[in-house]
Amino acid sequence: MIAGTKRRGRASSLAFRSFLLLSLIVALTTLAVLVGQVLVDSQGFLDTTLLTSPPSALPDIAGARPAILASLYLGALVFLFSVPIGVATAVYLEEYAAKDRWYNRLLELNIQNLAGVPSIVYGILGLAFLVRGLGLGRTLLAGSLILTLLVLPTVIIASREALRSVPSSIRDGAYALGATPWQVTWRQVLPAAIPGIATGSILSLSRAIGETAPLLLVGALVYVRYDPTLTSGFTALPVQIYNWVKLPQQDFQYLAAAGIVVLLAMLLTLNSVAILLRNRYQKRW
Amino acid sequence: MTTMTDLERQTTPVPVQEEGDAPDDSDVVFDVRDLDVSYAGKVALRGVTMKVFRNRVTAFIGPSGCGKSTFIRCFNRMNDLIVGASVDGHVYYHDEDLYDPKIDEVEVRRRIGMVFQKPNPFPKSIYDNIAFGPRVLGLTDALDERVEKALRDAALWDEVSDRLGANAFGLSGGQQQRLCIARCLAIDPEVILLDEPCSALDPISTSAIEDLIVELKKQYTIVIVTHNMQQAARIADRTAFFSVETGPDGYRSGVLVEYDKTSTIFTTPADPRTEGYVTGRFG
Amino acid sequence: MRTEFQTELDRLESLLQGEADLVARALRETLDAIKTQDAGLAGHVIAFDDQVDAHFLAVDSGIETLLARQAPVATDLRLVLSMLHINLHLERMADQCVNIAKMLRNIQPAGLPDELIEEFEPMGVRAEQMIRVAMDSFSARDVERAESLVDLDNLIDDRNRLMAKRIIELGGDEQQREAGLMAILMSRCIERIGDNAVDIGEQTAFLVTGSFREFQDASHGAGA
Repeated sequence: MIAGTKRRGRASSLAFRSFLLLSLIVALTTLAVLVGQVLVDSQGFLDTTLLTSPPSALPDIAGARPAILASLYLGALVFLFSVPIGVATAVYLEEYAAKDRWYNRLLELNIQNLAGVPSIVYGILGLAFLVRGLGLGRTLLAGSLILTLLVLPTVIIASREALRSVPSSIRDGAYALGATPWQVTWRQVLPAAIPGIATGSILSLSRAIGETAPLLLVGALVYVRYDPTLTSGFTALPVQIYNWVKLPQQDFQYLAAAGIVVLLAMLLTLNSVAILLRNRYQKRW
Repeated sequence: MTTMTDLERQTTPVPVQEEGDAPDDSDVVFDVRDLDVSYAGKVALRGVTMKVFRNRVTAFIGPSGCGKSTFIRCFNRMNDLIVGASVDGHVYYHDEDLYDPKIDEVEVRRRIGMVFQKPNPFPKSIYDNIAFGPRVLGLTDALDERVEKALRDAALWDEVSDRLGANAFGLSGGQQQRLCIARCLAIDPEVILLDEPCSALDPISTSAIEDLIVELKKQYTIVIVTHNMQQAARIADRTAFFSVETGPDGYRSGVLVEYDKTSTIFTTPADPRTEGYVTGRFG
Repeated sequence: MRTEFQTELDRLESLLQGEADLVARALRETLDAIKTQDAGLAGHVIAFDDQVDAHFLAVDSGIETLLARQAPVATDLRLVLSMLHINLHLERMADQCVNIAKMLRNIQPAGLPDELIEEFEPMGVRAEQMIRVAMDSFSARDVERAESLVDLDNLIDDRNRLMAKRIIELGGDEQQREAGLMAILMSRCIERIGDNAVDIGEQTAFLVTGSFREFQDASHGAGA
């Protein structure tokens, strides 16, 4: 009997679908409410003053220019440091390291662990070794270095996944033509893995830009009026937002909301670029 | 109506035609002596001894797991890339032992090329695919001519000459495999190893590749692994039959059962195991 | 596609045609030997059979290897099978010539009476013609022409019967009667050659139509 069997199990699949839909609605609604609230709050303070002026005791003329600049600089530096080191490490682990050696397996395990370490621990590490130990002081350089260390495990892992996704038949084909391991890596594997590596790196970068805790420990200052340089004190946008939120005036709350909008815009842009890259260059093997 | 003069034509007796006239020592390209191949301690192939001759097609046939792919990968040191693989015994290529520590495996692979089971073009243009080998080996002069010659020799030029810059993945399966062959030819090897090159192809493409192989053997020495013994029957001059046997240590590994002219293997095989396999009675 | 296979098929077919040429030549020599009652010529026919045998073996083993290696199907398969059969028929024709030659040698120096010798010529010429028609119709894959062999064969059959009558009429002494018996046997050999030619025609029909059928079945009508 085929007719009438549709009813069987229909109730449970309906319940399941409803549950999924409900979860989606809850998540999206929460997000929408938060973002919506922020947007509403930022009314009136989301203007060029925010972007071009330094902070001030007066909310009307206060801006986040040093913070925004510092965040951009930090982002660039983190990218510059983390990508070469991360990709090189991934290439070593994936293409050169003999996978049955114990020390290589230990290395892999440690990288996985490091990716899960809370960011404040990196902050303490930075304070002890970079700011005080190496004597770098509370500078942008130190901040960028510690953020690099923070995102490095993620970059390595993402790059490894990208390298792994290159089919071994490509390597076999290249080796069979008489290419050395370096030629295989540099001319075939890396070019094919670049979309994945780029996506992973950009996502790591957007995480770095949003980090607050390690920067606080490494010395992002509370009140910075000057444009930051590599060796100067600095503050970052998340820190600036935090600072404003702590102030009593209501206007500073709105200013903070405006700052959040700017931060969100930066992160969204970065993530969209990453997704676009991934979709555009997705390889069909 | 016949006339006397027609019938008085002289005709000479015709000898029986032998394919692959008896090769001698000067024709030996590979001389394999007592070869054992193991993966992580387990012997996959045991005690193989045989010779491969110049400008012939030599086929390896046998049931799955008999070690024929393992064996062919010994000829160009591709087994080195497998973690835990080890080789005992000797594979002489023109009197040089390929597994001598002094031998550079890059040089080996330049002379002995390989085409794989599933076509594996690089994610590049057709031109760059063919040019890859010459570029990594430093053979960069007259690259355009080299690419064209390789494509012509692989019977692919006419189909792609107007779109050398197109992505190689746009080709059909049969074309991709011919591209892989052309890629191999571009570096002027002496030997071409083909590991089940037609397994992933339809019968028409398979036939095209078989015709190509028969044409190529005039210039190159060809070794082919095939699980389709009819293919070996059609194109190989000499055929080696491998099977899985239990060794003295109690483990099953691949062994060479019989190696002879193809016509002998398929008409009067010497070993009953060969007879059992080619008649389809087992394996 | 499969150029090696096609080349091999062509090679075997041309070997077969070459063998047919040899058989025709053997037959002509045999007929000449009958006409001239020359024992030496008869001896040559017997020796010549080695060449036919060499071709026979070449075709036979070539077909064996071809079947093993190329697994022909459809028309290719029918071609190979028909060549296998034609090979046998040609070889048998050559054997008949050898039989005639041997008998000819045995009755020398007395030989055959002239009245009988002249009976052989039309039969022999017709047999030669039939070999040519059979092989040409095979080469051209012409079924109609192959079927014409039946009518051509009738003359040989008629002549064969007439030969028996003539021999009985001639009678003679013991030696002459022995010669007469030999003549009957030799005539029968030529008749067998004719039958083999018809068989070749049947193989052509099989190749083209795909079904084997005897052109003239003894159990269904016209007698031997």
